[in-house]
Amino acid sequence: MSSISSLDRQIQQLKDCQPISEQQVKELCLKAREILVEEANVQWIDSPVTICGDIHGQFWDLLELFKVGGMCPDTNYLFLGDYVDRGFYSVETFLLLLALKVRYPDRITLIRGNHESRQITQVYGFYDECLRKFGSASVWRYCCEVFDYLSLGAVVDGKVFCVHGGLSPNVTSLDQIRLIDRKQEVPHDGAMCDLLWSDPDDIEGWGLSPRGAGYLFGADIVKTFAHANNLDLIARAHQLVMEGHKLMFDDLIVTVWSAPNYCYRCGNVASILELDENLNPTYRSFDAATQDTRGIPAKSTALQYFL
Amino acid sequence: MSHDHDHDHEHSATSPTAPTKRIISRAHLQSFLDSPTHQDLVNFLEELNESVVGHKLTEEVKESEAVKSLLDVLGEVEQTVKDTPPVDNGKSRFGNPAFQTFYDRIAEKAKKLHESIPGLPEDRIDELSTYFCESWGNRTRVDYGSGMELNFICWLLCLRKLGVIEKEDDRALVSRVFWKYMTVARLLQTEYWLEPAGSHGAQGLDDYHFAVFIFGSAQLRGHKHLRPKAIHDNDILEEFSKDYMYLSYVQYINSIKTASLRWHSPMLDDISGVKTWDKLNSGMLKMYKAEVLAKLPVAQHFLFGSLLPYPASADTLEAEPEAGVTKDEHGHIHVRGEGFGDCCGIPIPSAFAAAEDLRKREAAGAIRRIPFD
Repeated sequence: MSSISSLDRQIQQLKDCQPISEQQVKELCLKAREILVEEANVQWIDSPVTICGDIHGQFWDLLELFKVGGMCPDTNYLFLGDYVDRGFYSVETFLLLLALKVRYPDRITLIRGNHESRQITQVYGFYDECLRKFGSASVWRYCCEVFDYLSLGAVVDGKVFCVHGGLSPNVTSLDQIRLIDRKQEVPHDGAMCDLLWSDPDDIEGWGLSPRGAGYLFGADIVKTFAHANNLDLIARAHQLVMEGHKLMFDDLIVTVWSAPNYCYRCGNVASILELDENLNPTYRSFDAATQDTRGIPAKSTALQYFL
Repeated sequence: MSHDHDHDHEHSATSPTAPTKRIISRAHLQSFLDSPTHQDLVNFLEELNESVVGHKLTEEVKESEAVKSLLDVLGEVEQTVKDTPPVDNGKSRFGNPAFQTFYDRIAEKAKKLHESIPGLPEDRIDELSTYFCESWGNRTRVDYGSGMELNFICWLLCLRKLGVIEKEDDRALVSRVFWKYMTVARLLQTEYWLEPAGSHGAQGLDDYHFAVFIFGSAQLRGHKHLRPKAIHDNDILEEFSKDYMYLSYVQYINSIKTASLRWHSPMLDDISGVKTWDKLNSGMLKMYKAEVLAKLPVAQHFLFGSLLPYPASADTLEAEPEAGVTKDEHGHIHVRGEGFGDCCGIPIPSAFAAAEDLRKREAAGAIRRIPFD
């Protein structure tokens, strides 16, 4: 099939960190939406699966991730969102993951992070990067339309709930998430917002989040939610952890972070979580790509002041 | 600065007021940019800038009694950090909650610390304390950014307007007082892991500071041998960082970040291609005026009081939200396409929601200022 071979060519091109054409992005995003619209708000996934946290446009480090975890489709992947912003290669990162999704829809699941939003990407870099690389906002717009179709969470074998941020006081059961109309920009409050924005914290019950969106939630909340929904584990991302992953609350919730040396400066390691067919976890950590494997980032716009 | 004396009279005639935030729209921002307060601030920065041209940190500089007292105050802040060690934060967020204890301790001590500054009128202490306390970071978000650094400069400007410090103190203010402030701010950032406020990751000049690049490049203007590209030479950084803030700070950045400068600070790397320190210094000043003072998401936090007054003409401005300007539930303003948009990663409601919210609050008779969260 010619569309598959053309898609394979695009995947190869993207793996070399070369953006595809605007027309190709448009078609890719259309196909992706056709696939994503069929997925549930909480997408069912069968083990074994490899769960990955925030990537934030760190393209060369994503390739490191694939070296450690295996390539798709050999490995079944679940990404927990935050593909874009802050790093230099949000375009290539998101489009590569999206092309893999279209090529192998049953071997890679992409859920939504708080950065998969029109409002956030206009502030933290993805919008500017699209303008710089394509000369117009069209690619950004196509990508944002895809963001609206991304699932809000996933559940592995019915036992491991996966979400970008965390829990919501408006959600006591997974079924309540299924009732959300997700195909919209991330709202600034309510269940959909909380799932993408909340953080576990060493508190009792619910607390105000210093992020200004979502909530902080304590061990009691996690235990109640896990019990009510018959869960073994909640896997989430959203917070930098220096060691790459962090278990909390009697190992009932884990933060997985997959952007090594975040922002090219935090000095953290990254990790991915492999769940085997019996849901036994293995955490694999990896460091940032060595410098010689990365291209040189483009010049910044600050130079205008120094002419 | 010839017109400054008029302002001084004006200010000394104004009774002290608690500094508050006033800028809530582009129109308000424009009023600020056109105001004597903005002009005073820019003049003060340029004057401080000029005072250190060609001068090393290691050079002798006359420290007046007032300057000595400011250094003592900063030493006291430093001691407070040391007395407030980070708490075990193993399970919690990134920033350390001990910062809030530190903040409260400084707030408690602020009056006493200000009383130790000779020539500072007692009725001005509250007003100055606001700038002083907000120089160390945001208590709620446990973060730090160029806005806090700006508060410190405002604090110095207030002291200047009150005649506590004088023009003769300029060089000591930069190479002693400001540099000491940088030391303490860095200690805070590293001890409590203060999150960079509104950081754009690799897309920004620096996670935390800006003014150090202004004053730092001024010191190097006209240097016989060192050129801006010298920041890539570790031996030069090693040898000269005790003399020059710019080199010292780059060395510090290198020490806390792991990849090369090209990766963690591409903007600094690009700027190192500028041919002369003169060009670099004037560029930093231009950039500061454009990217810090004239950007709504930063300027909305500017604190106006009696010494740095809000332009009277702007009081009558309609607080209508404009296209492309939105406000989040913290009351912070976000402007499409303007970097530095955000302090805490918050979602941004539509302009309609902001307008609705504003109408509600106005109907309730609330004061139209940006709440400090």
